[in-house]
Amino acid sequence: MTNTNHKHPYDDYLRSTHRLGRIASIITLALLVGAPFVIGGYLGAKPDLGAAARGFLAVGLVWTVSSVAEFLVYTPMLGAGGSYLAFITGNLINMKIPCAMNAREMVKAKTGTAENEIISTLSIATSSLVTILVLAFGVLLLTPLRPVLQSPVLRPAFDQVVPALFGALAYRYFRKDIVLALIPLMVMTALFMFVPSLTSSTSLMIIPSGALAIGLSYLKFRKTAQEDKA
Amino acid sequence: MPVFEQLNSGTMYLVCGAIVAFVAVVCAVFMVRAWRAGKALGMDTARMKRAMTASATFSFLPSVGILLGVIALSGSLGIPWPWLRLSVIGALHYETQVAQAAAEQLGQQLSAESMTADGFCTIALLMSVCIMWGMILMTVFGKRYLAKLSGGRKAEPASDKPGFADAAMTAMFVGMVSAYIGSYIGIFASGEGRFLFRGTWTPLAVAAVAALAMAGFTWLTEKKHMEWLEGFSVAGSMLLGMLAAVLIGG
Repeated sequence: MTNTNHKHPYDDYLRSTHRLGRIASIITLALLVGAPFVIGGYLGAKPDLGAAARGFLAVGLVWTVSSVAEFLVYTPMLGAGGSYLAFITGNLINMKIPCAMNAREMVKAKTGTAENEIISTLSIATSSLVTILVLAFGVLLLTPLRPVLQSPVLRPAFDQVVPALFGALAYRYFRKDIVLALIPLMVMTALFMFVPSLTSSTSLMIIPSGALAIGLSYLKFRKTAQEDKA
Repeated sequence: MPVFEQLNSGTMYLVCGAIVAFVAVVCAVFMVRAWRAGKALGMDTARMKRAMTASATFSFLPSVGILLGVIALSGSLGIPWPWLRLSVIGALHYETQVAQAAAEQLGQQLSAESMTADGFCTIALLMSVCIMWGMILMTVFGKRYLAKLSGGRKAEPASDKPGFADAAMTAMFVGMVSAYIGSYIGIFASGEGRFLFRGTWTPLAVAAVAALAMAGFTWLTEKKHMEWLEGFSVAGSMLLGMLAAVLIGG
């Protein structure tokens, strides 16, 4: 793809994407936070703000830290359009990020390029619409589907969606640089073996694991650059 | 009307469905804009279609898994609210934990029998508030953050020489996968007591089967030139991994 001669249309696209993304995010936020109050009006009830505040202190702070990490790490991967959509529609780690990375790999798009921005947005929009449609049809068919989906035979399969996803991705990414992969994998394995309680905070452990992998990758990148110069 | 029946009423479907519909429209608008911008930039439409097809096939199976999350929560919160939560902003691994925490603060169980109208509203509010920060950060800082990362660089053609940004993204993913695979090994080794090796090995076995399946798909794609398989490789590997879970029996 060549985009040198299309600088202005792309700049306009990015600017309007940020404007649209902000408007959509603010409206979605208002709808989501307002919905419990609207439903409360229908039910003749209202949220207990004190209990909600205590609940936030109990679990919300962890998710706030996680959200900050997700914003810092995933936004550069996804670009503007993809990030707005991913944060609006959720399910980042288990679906949107791998989905966008998969699409990006397929078309060989480079980070920070216009192509990456477009492909990420298309990928996450498609993924979100598929989820919305599957859930909408699923909810419509919920009564007849429930016995099938919750059957004791199929239940273990759906309990293991995340391991199945990360197993597939492990092969895809580890084979790119097995030495780079082995070190964070061994460190993480040792941590989880010595401190088993960390398994309940696996999503937070992505931060040190990712930082370690990026650090190792940088050392290798610098070494290669120095060898190229010499 | 009992509270649980009200939670499954037409009004609830209307409120939640309207928000889901709004988000679906937002996704469609972003998709059309990106498609048009891609064409204007001279991108190959076949590649864009390929990316979208792969994303659709990739997302189907995890979406069915998310649907199971809706089913799981519908027993205590009714169907419409979990449908909304998992269609918009929510995450499969997050919702139950936060709903349970809110119920605990109210001194009640997360169940249909003990659900009250006030309790439901409080749970619903906490579920919305706890996970909204990514969206807020993106709204407030997203533009500046992305501009800073690009260092004022505009849309330039990608260099043939790989930059560190690509290596860093791959490394971040390697780190993420390492954390999860490491946790599965840790659960097996120390899940029932440190180094007793009596914990569940199902996630590890499922991950191993999915990885093997991925290796098979990659071999067929790269060595046997069956490129059409590439779009189904992740979903197919997941399916085989999940099949292993059924054979193991959970």
